[in-house]
Amino acid sequence: MVSPTEDRSEVLVRFHRRSLAGLMVITLVLGALGLALALSPPGAVRQPSNLLWWLLPLVIAAFSRLLTSMGGHHIDPQSPEMKAAIQDEWRRNNMLRAARAALIVVLVGQWPLGLSLGFLTSPQLTPVRVASAMAAATIMLGIVTTITFFLYLDRE
Amino acid sequence: MDEKLRNTLKVQRAIRDLTQADLALLAGVTRRSVNAIETGRMVPSVLLALKLARALSVSIETIFSLESLDGADTRQGQP
Repeated sequence: MVSPTEDRSEVLVRFHRRSLAGLMVITLVLGALGLALALSPPGAVRQPSNLLWWLLPLVIAAFSRLLTSMGGHHIDPQSPEMKAAIQDEWRRNNMLRAARAALIVVLVGQWPLGLSLGFLTSPQLTPVRVASAMAAATIMLGIVTTITFFLYLDRE
Repeated sequence: MDEKLRNTLKVQRAIRDLTQADLALLAGVTRRSVNAIETGRMVPSVLLALKLARALSVSIETIFSLESLDGADTRQGQP
């Protein structure tokens, strides 16, 4: 027989997976925005898109609110089911494995990333802008790879 | 000698008529952990193994044992 508490623990795990998928989408959007800002020439594109950065704190605040609430119920981080979900050994192992895999991908990816940014971007771009684009691409790659590996390893 | 961890978690759980979710609740882990251990995808830490043993009210050796790859049981203290 499954009690409501057990159900809640399983719901938390599923909710966490969905949140990570949401975080991956937000990372991709923000990463693409960062790349566009860094690689676009000064002018028409750059000015309006700068306004979007003001939205960043709002997006983070909204996402945080989404993470701490579920179906109208507040999540208590001290509750046993929440502790079980956070401290769960299988999930922590999977996160460590995903982080290790992402580190390798990011390190190996530096070479093709650097080459593609060096060859495909306009020569008029300053080195600072290219370096910014490289940083944005690296961060995006790291986060997306970590989440993807974790969701893959954590599947049933 | 190559050895692998064998567990009787599923059997012990069945004896007590517990679901994976029930055992997970008793041990303070998620059902996925219990499932991963039962299917041999995860080797639990000593802490988690002790928690599972306590939840099932058995000794740790009742649940976990070492098995050599040629099939022989290499449990300590067992003939």
